[in-house]
Amino acid sequence: MRIAPDHSGERIMDVDLTPMIDVVFLLIIFFMATAQFARLTKADIELPREQGETQRAEEASGVVINISPAGELIVDGDSYSLDRVVAMVKVELKRAGGAPGALDLLIRADKDAPASVVNTLADRLVEAGVRSWRLGTEPGSGGGA
Amino acid sequence: MRFASPKQSAARRTMLRLQLTSMIDVIFLLLIFFMTTTTLSSPESRLSTGLQTERDDSARAADFQPQVVEARLVDGAPAFVLGQRVFRDKASLTRTLRELPKEAGVFVRVSGDVRVEWVAGALQSCEDAGFARVNYVPAK
Repeated sequence: MRIAPDHSGERIMDVDLTPMIDVVFLLIIFFMATAQFARLTKADIELPREQGETQRAEEASGVVINISPAGELIVDGDSYSLDRVVAMVKVELKRAGGAPGALDLLIRADKDAPASVVNTLADRLVEAGVRSWRLGTEPGSGGGA
Repeated sequence: MRFASPKQSAARRTMLRLQLTSMIDVIFLLLIFFMTTTTLSSPESRLSTGLQTERDDSARAADFQPQVVEARLVDGAPAFVLGQRVFRDKASLTRTLRELPKEAGVFVRVSGDVRVEWVAGALQSCEDAGFARVNYVPAK
């Protein structure tokens, strides 16, 4: 005997959206956290307006030292003395293996900062074993120089 | 007379209900978030250089007479100096550097009494002129 299926009741397809909303909220929190991190790493300064390198080297995570217009050294949003910054770089250099080119060091100096600060920092970094760095620029039409 | 089959009448009664309101809310929230954050960071570029000091004897012995570009005050105004020649703008310095031999590389020395934009200007000129080896030498 063949029994016909019961078609009397309504069939409702329920899609449970709760896990998706959970994941999306997790993504939002992640992006908010990383955006905050980026803001701290890169201080709000006006970089020299230069095109930069035509052939970009591989970007690696490293140390970012910001130099304010007044010549302050800012790392991760906090201002530090020259000695402290050099000590941080030494730790990072050791962590990167200690080889002279191992550390990716980015200097983000304000275009109006005195070059004497860059010179003093460079001198101390060479003593610490750093043999190369990158100067941050902002692509755009010509600077004051 | 033609009767509707049991399958057809069941399909008519089936309703598919999707609660999309919350998903659209979240997507709009994401859209607003990305729209506001993307305006915060402007594109940045880099100028890679070597670092050397004037007392680095080993490096000096290895380099055969590199060009030396200076940025310093000349008659009270910042300028680029290459040998005896003084350049007031970056374009003329780049033109001159293009004609020089590139094998030995170039040293950039910037006096402490100019601003950082002159450091970047000197490094950019060397890059534009085609020097593969650019070393920054901090001036005393």
